[in-house]
Amino acid sequence: MRRFALPLLAASSLLLVVAASAATRPHYGGILRVALRAAPTSLDPADANQADSLARRNISRLMFDTLVTLDNRGGPQPSLATSWEAEPGNQRWHVYLRRDLSFHDGTALTSDAVAASLRAANPNWKVFPLGDAVVVVCDSPDSNLPAELALPRNGIAKRDGKLLGTGPFAVADWQPGKKLTLTARDDYWGGRPFVDSIEIEMGKSFRDQMISFDLGKTDLIEVAPEQARRAAMENRSSVQSSAPLELMALVFARDRQSAEEGRLRQALALGIDRVAMNTVLLQGGGEPAGGLLPNWMSGYAFLFPTDVNLPQARQVRGDLHQASLWTLGYDSADSVARVVAERAALNARDAGLSVQLTASNSADLRLVRVPLVSLDAPVALANLATALGLPQPKFPGDSVDSLYAAETALLDSQRVIPLLHVRVAAGIGPPVKNWTAHADGIWPLQDVWLSTEKP
Amino acid sequence: MSFRRKLLAVFALTVFLSVVAVTWIVSAVTRRAFERSNEERTMALIAQFRREFNRRGEEVVRRVQAIAASDATTRMALALSHGAPDYGAYLAEAKTIADNQQLDFLEVVDSQGTIISSAQWPAKFGYKENSLPPTQPTSKGAFLRREDLPDGAALSLSAIGEVNLGDKALYVIGGQRIDKDFLGSLELPAGMRAMFYQNFATGFSPPFLIDPSGTVQQPDRMAPLVERVQQQRQETTELIHWSSDAADDETVHAIPLAGQDNQLLGILLVGNSRRPYVELRQRIRSAALLVGGSGILLAILLSGWAASRVTRPVEQLAAAAREVAAGNWNTQVEVSSSDEFGELAESFNRMTHELLDQKERLVQTERVAAWRELARRLAHELKNPLFPLQLTVENLIRAREQTPEQFEEVLRESSSTLLAEISNLKAIISRFSEFSKMPQPQFQRVQLNEVVANVSRLFQAQLRAPDRATIDCQLQLAEPMEPIAADPELLHRAISNLVLNAMDAMPQGGTLKLRTYQQEDRAYVEISDTGAGLTSEECERLFTPYYTSKEHGTGLGLAIVQSVVSDHGGRISVQSQAGHGTTFVIGLPRKAAISS
Repeated sequence: MRRFALPLLAASSLLLVVAASAATRPHYGGILRVALRAAPTSLDPADANQADSLARRNISRLMFDTLVTLDNRGGPQPSLATSWEAEPGNQRWHVYLRRDLSFHDGTALTSDAVAASLRAANPNWKVFPLGDAVVVVCDSPDSNLPAELALPRNGIAKRDGKLLGTGPFAVADWQPGKKLTLTARDDYWGGRPFVDSIEIEMGKSFRDQMISFDLGKTDLIEVAPEQARRAAMENRSSVQSSAPLELMALVFARDRQSAEEGRLRQALALGIDRVAMNTVLLQGGGEPAGGLLPNWMSGYAFLFPTDVNLPQARQVRGDLHQASLWTLGYDSADSVARVVAERAALNARDAGLSVQLTASNSADLRLVRVPLVSLDAPVALANLATALGLPQPKFPGDSVDSLYAAETALLDSQRVIPLLHVRVAAGIGPPVKNWTAHADGIWPLQDVWLSTEKP
Repeated sequence: MSFRRKLLAVFALTVFLSVVAVTWIVSAVTRRAFERSNEERTMALIAQFRREFNRRGEEVVRRVQAIAASDATTRMALALSHGAPDYGAYLAEAKTIADNQQLDFLEVVDSQGTIISSAQWPAKFGYKENSLPPTQPTSKGAFLRREDLPDGAALSLSAIGEVNLGDKALYVIGGQRIDKDFLGSLELPAGMRAMFYQNFATGFSPPFLIDPSGTVQQPDRMAPLVERVQQQRQETTELIHWSSDAADDETVHAIPLAGQDNQLLGILLVGNSRRPYVELRQRIRSAALLVGGSGILLAILLSGWAASRVTRPVEQLAAAAREVAAGNWNTQVEVSSSDEFGELAESFNRMTHELLDQKERLVQTERVAAWRELARRLAHELKNPLFPLQLTVENLIRAREQTPEQFEEVLRESSSTLLAEISNLKAIISRFSEFSKMPQPQFQRVQLNEVVANVSRLFQAQLRAPDRATIDCQLQLAEPMEPIAADPELLHRAISNLVLNAMDAMPQGGTLKLRTYQQEDRAYVEISDTGAGLTSEECERLFTPYYTSKEHGTGLGLAIVQSVVSDHGGRISVQSQAGHGTTFVIGLPRKAAISS
């Protein structure tokens, strides 16, 4: 008996070790269930009619590769393109394509298809094929073109009837605004994703997502930034928050009409208590913002004041005789936007200003939430300016000083009052393994695999 | 207007006034009844509102007390007692609790009056709640409260709950919104509605006036009433005209509602439509018009029939009276009833019968009197010449017996006397015969001025006779005078008689004035003297036959003149005053000349 006992114990131990390592070892298969609040009706990455959001970018990344990707520091990395070079003046760029790539239907990725896709996304560019490369001619010198090629809208798509991409997943079923089912591509040039397919439910509120997540019906959800801390504290799930990736700001509908109006806007900016907004309304789900770009991206955002200065705001207001009655619009479907707008109105009242909330689109100023679309600061700033309706910033050079000067110029226009930089949070269910957070908030769904352990 | 028409008008007016009076009385009674009903309904609605208000208030108090006593609130109070609040932890707390307790408003306020959590304004954390001073004891009951909201303000029925842990209190202020849903929950009788004015501004502001549908149409109509309540702070009633149609009018009763600090926060407006009353009044008026119109029509028909029955005997009597006035004294009217009109007709018939009898008796009496007068005059006229005749004959007889020698001479003298007296008798008889044989006038076109001028010329010699005092004759003949239809001979004789009378009236001389003129449908001749004049008694009897004021007159001259004038269809009158002469005026019709 003793003679058999030792080998039996050893065999049992080996089986347990093998079983345990099989549960934690990457493996293929499974369906990843995702819920999103956004409800896009089109999958085309170049469709400008669809609201930009991180969720849309996540979906787009799964199906449409870009020529270039950005690393966590914003540096351009090869993707569908293997290299690129600019002609003198940075207005004409040659982008060399990776060979032997195909779309989801098996057709080869050609320079013609890439040029057509870029032209559709960038009407101002002149793009034409040149052998295995494409030539991009910008309307003005653009040293940041590689970063721009990494923008989601520049995902390469084939639009001849059926929308096709070269990404790791192909569309299996698409119910616009409701549900999207993707299947993994075995022949993906970057390697087959671990999961077999992804089912994405759209148009789900944060609350519904959380309920579904708690019930184990969904593996991956979005978490409202103001709920991230509580969710993490309650330890109901693994909640991961990104760096601040969204700007929440007040934007005036028009330029200031007089110096006095500029002073009124200054009083409003001074009177807003961004810290209270962040700590109470967002539950620490963001950072007070004095500039347009977050500090982790620009490195100088701390130079812009964020503290409330009510005495100075009242003094500025008191020096003026002009009446101020502004209407403040906000997205009535966004509960966080509503309370932030209400708090801004209260802060304005403390400063002696009148701000009336309205659901009308013709408000004097609006509370907007604009996601940062790129890890490249100049590109992100330029896209922010576009989204906010501000003039395009000018970058005299590639230095931080140039970026700071451009951002300061935008702020000095007094068209925008930054309030908060908001983080993006995701609830990651226990089956989801190998989650590695990206600085741009993109979900690395092609890298995750699903555990077979029963919770 | 005839008696029948007057009677008809009186009957119709009476009916019309009766209908108007009845309609007015019914309208007045209806109006009073409606006003009373309106007032009762308004009071009932107000009482219902107060009951609903109190019931809701009790409900709010109960819910707020439940919140104050809940574990969540206690935990919150405990956490707050340990240090500075973490507003973020309670940001949505009040909203969650309020939703669970079905409250529209909920605020959690610490002992310093700082808002910890607000359901209606989550962003208001950290701000002071001005309506809850720390030293003020909390109210036990519900009260009206103004709730400041991000997009304005609202009124609520609120209550305050208190949680005491240690020396720090935590207040829970919860309430329900008073809005269109609240108004809609009131069960109103038909025709009534409730409105509510939220007194958030000085003066009247239309958006603050709501009704169960949300907004009131034409809110400015309510402005005077609201402003009056704002000034007087007492219940007021006013009639609101929503349009030119009176049926749209509404009696609105306003009740001021104050908050805890006696500040006017709201005004309940209870509207009571006057449409039922106006429609009822309209129906009454229509019915009155129909009944009145029919009544007046019927009254006209009945009045016509009745008036004809009443007035027919009167008209017969009037016609009979006209007949009698025309000289037909034997006129009789038909006696068709036994009422007053029948009695009147019988009396009329008796009257005409009596008149006829009286006339016949009078004629007989006058005839007898005339005969007597004639006999007396004849006796008198004849006795005067007969007495000298008797004396002359007796003187002849005595002369033959006593002095035959002088008989011849006496006979001659007596014969002449007898012949003279016999001649006198013949003259008397001739005048009576002439009077009795007065001829009928032979009409022809006659110039009245010519007749008068001829008479004047005829008497010129006598007027200037040396054996009597001179009489001055003045002719005043109007020119032109239209010709008239007359008998020139008879007219000449009549005027001559009057001229002779005038001459007799002026033995001492004087002025005789002959004047013609025409007025309207008559031509006139005036014969005036300046004699002694006549007494009024003489004037009255002047035209009586055989009456004379003269010593040797027969009394037939003026009778003849009156007869001639009468035969010409004219009239003769006398104007005289003692001592101032006499004027005879003959008026002759001119129409006769035209017809002739």
